[in-house]
Amino acid sequence: MNVNGTLIWYYHICKREVWLMYNHIVPDQNDENIALGRFMHEITYQRQEKEISFGHVKFDIMMQTKDHIVIGETKKSDRYEEASRYQLLYYLSVLKEAGISASGLLLYPSQKKRVKVELALNEEKKLKEIIRNIDIICSQTEPPEVEKNRFCKRCGYREYCYA
Amino acid sequence: MKKDIFIFKDGELKRKDNTILFLGEEQQKYLPIEQVDAIWVFGEVTLNKRFLEIISTKEICIHFFNHYGYYLGTYYPREHLNSGLVILKQVNLYSQDSMRMPVAKEIIKTAVKNILIVLKYYRSRSKLVSSGIETIESMATQIEKCQDINELMAYEGNIRGVYYQNFNDIIDNDNFQFIKRSKRPPLDGINALISFGNSLMYTSVLSEIYKTHLDPRIGILHATNGRKFSLNLDIAEVFKPIVVDRIIFNLINRKVITEKDFKKQTHGTMLTEKGKKKFLKEYTDKMMSTIKHPRLNQYVTYKRLIRLELYKIQRHIVEGDNYKGFVARW
Repeated sequence: MNVNGTLIWYYHICKREVWLMYNHIVPDQNDENIALGRFMHEITYQRQEKEISFGHVKFDIMMQTKDHIVIGETKKSDRYEEASRYQLLYYLSVLKEAGISASGLLLYPSQKKRVKVELALNEEKKLKEIIRNIDIICSQTEPPEVEKNRFCKRCGYREYCYA
Repeated sequence: MKKDIFIFKDGELKRKDNTILFLGEEQQKYLPIEQVDAIWVFGEVTLNKRFLEIISTKEICIHFFNHYGYYLGTYYPREHLNSGLVILKQVNLYSQDSMRMPVAKEIIKTAVKNILIVLKYYRSRSKLVSSGIETIESMATQIEKCQDINELMAYEGNIRGVYYQNFNDIIDNDNFQFIKRSKRPPLDGINALISFGNSLMYTSVLSEIYKTHLDPRIGILHATNGRKFSLNLDIAEVFKPIVVDRIIFNLINRKVITEKDFKKQTHGTMLTEKGKKKFLKEYTDKMMSTIKHPRLNQYVTYKRLIRLELYKIQRHIVEGDNYKGFVARW
């Protein structure tokens, strides 16, 4: 299976979410956090090239200088920093496999914050392991059971999981 | 919070500047599209493809009713939430009695529990419904033994029969006697109210199904053949007693609706436009009123409760979770 960046992101938030997303069971689209995220993606960085498909992944933004490519990922807040970092690292590794060297930038427009991300060797190993685990989760016939964590409170699946 | 729009006037529904404009004979009104949840059309309205295009992108359902107030159909925009897995599992549940019966039973049991909640409320208000409660309670114990869907539906029908007889004990007005359930056409005022209220509930549930991954064409209780949608009829069973029937009792007992709100025609009895509006006012107020949800620990509207019920059904279908129906607490 082809793992995309979003699944890597969800993997760090909730394993159940990985399974649901993989099976196209999406969260409530009217959930205010989801609507806000979608809106922010639309209105920010309008002058940049956005939603660039590369193989089976899709980058939010690509910024190109003379000799260097920077991949940007827009997020609402740094609440999910670890997850976002791995999402971006995954993009960098996909590019690296294609022989393209690039660096990453996490963008938090509402917090006026940017974090630089570079792919290191130990992280490449970690990514491989994550992808293996995602494969295992998605090959199950049913999603992992509900496991309460600190992200549940603002999750778009909250009502689906807990009602 | 997005709103439901009800249109009684004749006119044209148009797309204008990326939003909706209703052009009536005397008035024109903009309906900000981002705030529209679903549209119910009772008047004679014309619309064109350009309008349907914007409605589809904004994922809004439009329910149409004919001159007599009968449900005509729904403009159900293309599916936006597609999961092959959910559909396959939903079909699988439908086609295997061993999987379908437990869910069907739970829906009926929940509906009956909610009927009893309504009756017990009126018993506490000194209405003479005790024998009805007893009869229904003893009939309800038989539901578990039902072998197939037809038997289950027959039981449900019998319970409803007893329940409807109790309407006469609850309603204070002799002009509204329940004699026999009649549809297409409803032959008296009480039947007209039940029919109108139920069709509102069916369409409300349909609008919510659109926002889930479930396919409204595949029911659980109601067979899928013959009609376009059936899952909404199933889930409506749970909410009809606590929403529709309560509204009927309130409106008649508080004398908000009287005989003047009906017109007799060769086609039976129907609510006048004024009567429908009175009902709708009460209906939307009820749907927007909130209760504290025991498990979610937050306040939810009755309208949201419908969605939550659908999420539970969807979860049951996908994960084999045990569906437990929503039972009102008073």
